[in-house]
Amino acid sequence: MDIIEIVNLSHRFSNGTLGLNKINLSIRKGTFVVIGGLNGSGKTTLLKHLNGLLLPHTGIVKINGVPVSKNLLRARQIVGMVFQDADSQIVGETVYDDVAFGPENLLLNRAEIEKRVSEALTCVGLIDIAEQRPHVLSGGEKRRLTIAGILAMEPQVLVFDEPFSNLDYPGRQQVLEQILSLHASGHTILIATHDLEDVMTYADRLILMKDGVVVKDGSPDKLIDDLIVLGILEPRGFRFEMEMPS
Amino acid sequence: MTELTILGYCSGDSVLHKTDVRFKIACLIMISITTISANFWALSMLTLVLAVTFMHVGLSLTSAFKTLRYVFVLLMFIFIARILSSPGTPVFAFSKISVTREGIYDGVSICWRLLDVIVVGILFVSTTRSLEIKSAVAWLLHPIPFIPAKRVATMMSLVMRFMPVILDQARETADAQRARGVENRKNPIYRMSKLGIGLMRRTFERADKLAYAMEARCYSEERTDPALDSDSNDWIMLVFVMALCIAMTVV
Repeated sequence: MDIIEIVNLSHRFSNGTLGLNKINLSIRKGTFVVIGGLNGSGKTTLLKHLNGLLLPHTGIVKINGVPVSKNLLRARQIVGMVFQDADSQIVGETVYDDVAFGPENLLLNRAEIEKRVSEALTCVGLIDIAEQRPHVLSGGEKRRLTIAGILAMEPQVLVFDEPFSNLDYPGRQQVLEQILSLHASGHTILIATHDLEDVMTYADRLILMKDGVVVKDGSPDKLIDDLIVLGILEPRGFRFEMEMPS
Repeated sequence: MTELTILGYCSGDSVLHKTDVRFKIACLIMISITTISANFWALSMLTLVLAVTFMHVGLSLTSAFKTLRYVFVLLMFIFIARILSSPGTPVFAFSKISVTREGIYDGVSICWRLLDVIVVGILFVSTTRSLEIKSAVAWLLHPIPFIPAKRVATMMSLVMRFMPVILDQARETADAQRARGVENRKNPIYRMSKLGIGLMRRTFERADKLAYAMEARCYSEERTDPALDSDSNDWIMLVFVMALCIAMTVV
């Protein structure tokens, strides 16, 4: 079953630049999809249409069969988005407050909010520092906190925009493990990145974008040769013809 | 890592952290009004209480001095203006400039009052979540007709929440400009304009990103705010502050 359907989606920015041009995509429930492309290729613009942060100029985006523009709150609850800059996403004064932000916006009662926050923090391993100020966390912890903030809204789809940017190796590992465990628990995962190093092996599907257009779409192992043509760095394992860890 | 400032909520377990925010606002208003006409004895009494509270809350004095360094500069200007402009018995005179005994007294007392009020504000901000402030402001404004209480409260809580972010941004921009030798430019207007333009641009960019992130998590004025609960401890605190204010008035 397709959880996301995008039909003939185009978006033009206020300065006249065409951000997306006639995108047609369907994403099956429970899949792990990576959207690759250089900076400015339209990845983030596409993701922002999935929960109505941007609305299409032409075309339609449906979540579970319902157009996003018909019910923005529903779309935002189903599609949780983790942004590139964790610092800009954290709004709470403590780790707990930040995770509670989403459920509070959903007008849930206090007991349900506490339950969801506690579950989300346990899931990302931050429950012991619930009263900590978010600004003192490490990069990896901040990214996991943003994931917890989304998980507390119980989304079905998790969308990550450049989830590994500005992270050191342990931070990347922590975030990757988190993403894999969320995928294993049945979430649909969409990752937009220009750096395919960490995620290529785990993806069910690779979508490559350039200048606001989907230029390739298929199984990651079949699109390896297209990466260099599009100026995207191949993952190290493929470059040195090594076997990637599974 | 972001440098921590005390101009933001610091989690803790102190009496102030547990006090109902409405009572804290009432105390803040009472102390501020009483301080306007406080004499040296009253100010000494208040400063002593504030120092004990500051230590009890567990705030760092070093961090406080760092955060308030520009306030000290402002206070210094106020002090200088006061000692040079107040008429009275001259202590020191040079040409047409004279420093008077009354000027020194006025300058010290005004700066002291301002500093005490600022410390009260810091204690309030560092022990109160911005969402609690939002709930309290909405509760206070609710009976007043024609005022959109929730909207005003939301705006206030956002300002409170993002003050440290803007200060942090200002520090980063200033550091980046110092790294490119802005200190060689002696004209303060040039330096202020360069800092201001960069800071405004980055603050707006960051505000844009924040707005997207908050929208993505379904933010609106209608949300489950923290519950406002008062108990006997809050009333004890209020009575204590009232007694302090009365004592400050009569000494």
